[in-house]
Amino acid sequence: MRPFEVYAAKDSNHAVALLAQHTATSKVKVIAGGTDLLADLKFSAHSPDVIVDISRVEDLKGLKITDEGLNIGALVTHSQIMRSPIIQEMFPALVDAAHSIGAVQTRNLGTLGGNLVTGVPSMDSGPTLIALDALVNIIGSTGRRQLPLIDFFLGPRKTVLKPDELLAEIIIPRQNLGKPTHFLKFGLRKGQALALVNVAASIWIDWDKNVFVAPRIALGAVAPKVIRAPKAEAYLEGRTVTPEAMAEAGRIASTDARPITDFRASAEYRRDLVAVLTKRALEAAYALGQSKR
Amino acid sequence: MVNVSIKVNGEMRTASVPPETTLLRLLRDNFNLTGAKLGCDVGDCGACTVIVDGLPVNSCLMLANQVDGREVLTIEGLATTDKLHPLQKKFEEFGSLQCGFCGPGIIMSAKALLDENPAPTVMQIRDALGGNLCRCTGYAKMIEAIQAVANGSIEPVASKSA
Repeated sequence: MRPFEVYAAKDSNHAVALLAQHTATSKVKVIAGGTDLLADLKFSAHSPDVIVDISRVEDLKGLKITDEGLNIGALVTHSQIMRSPIIQEMFPALVDAAHSIGAVQTRNLGTLGGNLVTGVPSMDSGPTLIALDALVNIIGSTGRRQLPLIDFFLGPRKTVLKPDELLAEIIIPRQNLGKPTHFLKFGLRKGQALALVNVAASIWIDWDKNVFVAPRIALGAVAPKVIRAPKAEAYLEGRTVTPEAMAEAGRIASTDARPITDFRASAEYRRDLVAVLTKRALEAAYALGQSKR
Repeated sequence: MVNVSIKVNGEMRTASVPPETTLLRLLRDNFNLTGAKLGCDVGDCGACTVIVDGLPVNSCLMLANQVDGREVLTIEGLATTDKLHPLQKKFEEFGSLQCGFCGPGIIMSAKALLDENPAPTVMQIRDALGGNLCRCTGYAKMIEAIQAVANGSIEPVASKSA
């Protein structure tokens, strides 16, 4: 790696101050878990002059239920998500998504916020959170802003984050706590694979009428960023729950997807995967809803 | 330069290193602990796996400064001069390694698994080794050795020769 200076932040205010101070004159990168950054820097000719180390910023490591909903600090690691009793109880889909990332060693280091700020379209943290209408809190020297996670992403490896800003917190809104959700990833191996397609489906059920309420389908690796499947969601809203409806939603979702052909898979294959995974994710979310009834 | 103080295998070690130094480089180049291997250097192969504060991590993906004040266990911390760690012993007995380059990382991953889950299923063992690449063995004998340790079938080294 090319030489750089490192400044360790004591808390989030300090981190923001360090960013404000150094981004004015230097090329700055933030390190948290380091699993993406250090791997990149070892092969990059454009390494930063300054790295702000936020790995010890305790106030970004919280995971708790608040008035807003479930607040997850950006520095919560994938392993911590998998071990959290709150998340295991409310959102097994988030446990599955975290488990599908990298391997044990990278999950122990890598953070939820770090996965999101990569802006990689195949990221495994994105779909479940987007299916749960997650919000993000961003902090910077000019203050704090909140936006829906889906608007955080601009394109491949591009987010709305400015150089002097930090992703601080991810919030699953209160009305979605415990919403039955399922995540599925299709990779070429079980371990350390990037998703060819990943899908999350989140649904409420009106049990009196047995109809879908507020269905959400989020798709990864099939567009320049993680997307929702609006046509499939509209099809399901208020519709009676049947296996046929879930299969049809899958077919519609495959037309919401805009996959590309690359060395991992063809666009056509990815579309087929979207149809199958969406159907299966809906079935599993429905089964989860039934089991919690 | 940054000053780093780390408890490595129970012993306090200090060094002054350039900020871009990884934990792996610190262990190998400054502390002469060459058990953790430099393989891919980007977190894919797991040959550099060490245990930091109880959790297995890729030492190539941490800056030395990030480990300041923390506790690190490397493969050198497992055996004593007269006794191998049960995992090392069973790996030897089962012929679990061939070239051995991945061995220190595999054994540290296995140790972390057994520390957390003393009776893992085969699937849990495979999951725990998902971040450790071995191109010699096909993993089967490693998994058998880890199971043998978990089942408690390991015999003390002294009584075996008796």
